[in-house]
Amino acid sequence: MKSVLKALKILFFACTGLYLVLFLVFWFDLDGKALFYGVEPFLKNHYDKMKRKDPLEKVYKTDTPNYEYND
Amino acid sequence: MSKKTNLLKKAKKAVSVFWNGKPHEERRLGDLYLDKTGLYKHREWRGFKDTMYYFNMIWLYNYGNMVGDIVKYGGGLKALPLFLKGVWRYRWLGQTYLPVMHWYDRGLEGMRGQALRASAWHYRAMTSETIRQFMRMLAADQRLGGSKELYDRTPAHDETVWGGIFYPWRDRMDDVPLQMIPYFVTCHVNNHTVLNYIDAAQSIGLPGDPCPMCQAECGIFLQDDVPEYYPFVVTSNEACDGSVGTSVIQDWMMDRPLFAMPQPMQFDDPLVQEHCAKEIEECWKFIEEQSGMPMNMEELKKNLEEQNELQRFEWEKWEVAANTDYYPINGVAQALYRIYQSQDGNRKIWHETDKKVKKILEKCVEKKINSFPMTRHRVIAWSCAPLYYSHWCTWAYNCWGLNCIINMDSLMFNMTIRTDTYENMLKDMALYHEWAPMRRMAVGGMNHIFELWEYMEKFHCDMVMMYDQLQCKGMQGVHGLFEDEFRARDIHAIWMPHALPDKRTVSRSEIRGIINDYMTTIMHEKPLDPTLLEFDDSEGW
Amino acid sequence: MRDLKHLIRMEDMLQQANNELVREAREEGRKAIGYTCYYMPEVLLDLPGCFSVRLRAPNCTTPTMATYYMSGRTCHYGRSLMERALEGGFNFLDAQMATETCTVTCRFQEHLQRMNIIQNPDFFVEFTDIPFKKTENSVEHYKKQLQAHVLDKLHEKFGIDTSDEALLKAIEQHNEVCRLITEIGNYRKLAVPTITGYEFSVIMLTSLTCPKDKILPMLRETAEELKTRQPDIKPGWKIKVAVAGAENDDPDFIKLIESCGALVVADRYCYGSLPGREEIVVNEGQPPLDAIARHYLNTSCCPRFMPQDLMRGRKKYLADVCREYNADGLIVESNKFCEYWSYERTIDALIIPRDYDIPTCSIEKEYINSASGQLRTRFQAFVESVELKKLHGQTAKKAD
Repeated sequence: MKSVLKALKILFFACTGLYLVLFLVFWFDLDGKALFYGVEPFLKNHYDKMKRKDPLEKVYKTDTPNYEYND
Repeated sequence: MSKKTNLLKKAKKAVSVFWNGKPHEERRLGDLYLDKTGLYKHREWRGFKDTMYYFNMIWLYNYGNMVGDIVKYGGGLKALPLFLKGVWRYRWLGQTYLPVMHWYDRGLEGMRGQALRASAWHYRAMTSETIRQFMRMLAADQRLGGSKELYDRTPAHDETVWGGIFYPWRDRMDDVPLQMIPYFVTCHVNNHTVLNYIDAAQSIGLPGDPCPMCQAECGIFLQDDVPEYYPFVVTSNEACDGSVGTSVIQDWMMDRPLFAMPQPMQFDDPLVQEHCAKEIEECWKFIEEQSGMPMNMEELKKNLEEQNELQRFEWEKWEVAANTDYYPINGVAQALYRIYQSQDGNRKIWHETDKKVKKILEKCVEKKINSFPMTRHRVIAWSCAPLYYSHWCTWAYNCWGLNCIINMDSLMFNMTIRTDTYENMLKDMALYHEWAPMRRMAVGGMNHIFELWEYMEKFHCDMVMMYDQLQCKGMQGVHGLFEDEFRARDIHAIWMPHALPDKRTVSRSEIRGIINDYMTTIMHEKPLDPTLLEFDDSEGW
Repeated sequence: MRDLKHLIRMEDMLQQANNELVREAREEGRKAIGYTCYYMPEVLLDLPGCFSVRLRAPNCTTPTMATYYMSGRTCHYGRSLMERALEGGFNFLDAQMATETCTVTCRFQEHLQRMNIIQNPDFFVEFTDIPFKKTENSVEHYKKQLQAHVLDKLHEKFGIDTSDEALLKAIEQHNEVCRLITEIGNYRKLAVPTITGYEFSVIMLTSLTCPKDKILPMLRETAEELKTRQPDIKPGWKIKVAVAGAENDDPDFIKLIESCGALVVADRYCYGSLPGREEIVVNEGQPPLDAIARHYLNTSCCPRFMPQDLMRGRKKYLADVCREYNADGLIVESNKFCEYWSYERTIDALIIPRDYDIPTCSIEKEYINSASGQLRTRFQAFVESVELKKLHGQTAKKAD
């Protein structure tokens, strides 16, 4: 019983602590700052360097399909 | 003694600020910004109840739900790695999805009480629907090893094709618009992303003057940034010549069976209705052929009736907005939710949200709660809005007391669809389809663009925020007539120049400057919050 | 080459919309019906009792008043028409048969409808809805629209006979114009053409802007003249080109290209003859309106058509035109702010050289080309590059 209470107590303090930490993140806009200064530049760099297909090499079949609904 | 009184006064004030937040004129919201970034030194204290509501029910709740929705719509925990793969592969997803809470911050800045709650539910619905759509894209994406079976059941369409066209298959297939998430949503959430797509379009020789929306839609394909999730496509001429022009490049890049379902331009002409109805029927034939699945008329009817419920509630909202001071939804939430919902068609999330909002709305009316007590002018916003600054209305209310009651996009799909007979249903579907975004007013017949005066009267507005999309040929083509009419009718109208998704043409700061100038020099008014007059958010999302 | 007898008179007639032949026809009591787009079948407006005038605004360089109404960010062509209307240059019109086939010309015509611009008490504007496809549904729709908004209106307002017999008569006259223009235009296919692009452009434009019956004698004589016309011993051109693109009713633009050494042998642009001067075929038992509707939908190559096969087929058509007219290269032009052709031009400039091996020059222009210096440089460079390519080709052949 005692250990259950102790576990509950720990859980309560852990949750409260987490809640407070999250509130601090919220209050100081730390999520925004992390994303703005860290995540976005990192991802942007990744997307800019990503190898992409050259769209102008793509075949364009101009001897066209002729579906029934185009008649 | 006086020192004691002062202290007491200060303590009382501190308690009041803690509990209620600062009065509007003392908020100094502009002081909260970090220069250039649009980030906050710290988020706003809205009073204890509203700050806790914001923290618990908006910030925490939505971050939690953003993960929850990925799992829910992606078919369980396996969706998480798929989502990460998507983030890694698609710029529009990675760069846009993560700062979504800042989109809430911008739109809900300064909101209190019921306005905060009702507007946030609209945002929540849009977020959830966005996640549903992109998770479906990713799950069917052949590039990411998505399911072939899902691929076969995920038709694509232009974002300007009304989702209702696919109602007869909603029990078996799930249609996902091609550009709604990669383009439209991204512009609102993170306006950096779309610039890559506009530049990509121009890099192949396209001039800079066509509508930047169409340019961006085409650029997504040129950047190879559209998931391979669809076996066939339905396109449309919505909303303008630029959309038609883009179709060719998109067709080249997609190279899939494509059905063009253009809407007639002269939609007031009773003679065009039969033609449009037949186009819809031909489109259905195409979908049946491509998917191998017959239509389910019951499913169509069921969805249309549910969509009618959404429309009826929208009318209720308009009624309150038009005739009372108790409308609790701010301008940006009204505009975005409505256009998203009416274009997307019937989805569960809209019903869930409307139910919640209805409760708030009824409470406001019953208890006569004015959610925008600092309103100085009731504003109607007309024409196509700047996507990178859709939250201008939040700023305008906080800074000047300009309360944007309604906007043109909200008023476009102003109808329910009859389901009593097949003929009536088809006829109404055709009309709904014709009244697509930017068609009914901005680019369509001139008669409808001047419905502004009727709506101004109906919604008891005394001011117009006249969007001036510099690259919209339809709206540029009637510029002078509006000038004439504003003068003749002695209407206060502020022209807001912008380039839809492209903030480089006219920045948010320039837009604010134009409004500030008008309010000081023409209206001779003083700002409610002078710290919001000038600030630099040029690098912000 | 020997001068064409009627060329100077035709050039004069292109100096203003209300030209001498238009005035003559109006004095005879006929109604002048304006239009802007190929989708409005001119043959319907050429019924006995009325005549068609495809609107132009020659020499309009600064459309100031129109810019107030339509801003400086819309196509110069639409604004120039508006300017000319505001100046009173279209007061001779009795009606405008309008189409919403591109946004800015639509807006121009809506202004005519909404504002009291045209100083003619009987003047009216009527809009016709034009389909985006060529399916049976589209043909039926088009027919219905033409009947209700063109034929019925002409009959109701001006008492014009719109019976099948009258339509057949109009088709007959229209077909003669087409036959003659095609005959004249075919001389551009010769190895050494006996007509210049500029001359052809003048002739083609007069056929669009003057009453058909009044221009026909001149066309007949010109066709006759061309039968014996000899080319210059030493032609002044270095290469032959086809021109494709957006609205162009400025023969001086063609002259500018030709002055850079590129003879224009094919005109696939709005106000050009490809397509546009094919004869209307009425099959036995076929109602003439049905033939007309099918003809105009089927012949049009407008970038407004959206079905997949038509979007793709347009590229092939362009390449076929170049081959048929022995063009060494292609110039694709679009007017600034023209959205349809901005895209079409971009993709043509990518696909035609890549997939059909036809050198292509892509340019953006104004309605009236005051920036001719820049264009001249572009065209000269293009001519040089094509010439070089031809030379390389010849050298390679010799080496083989």
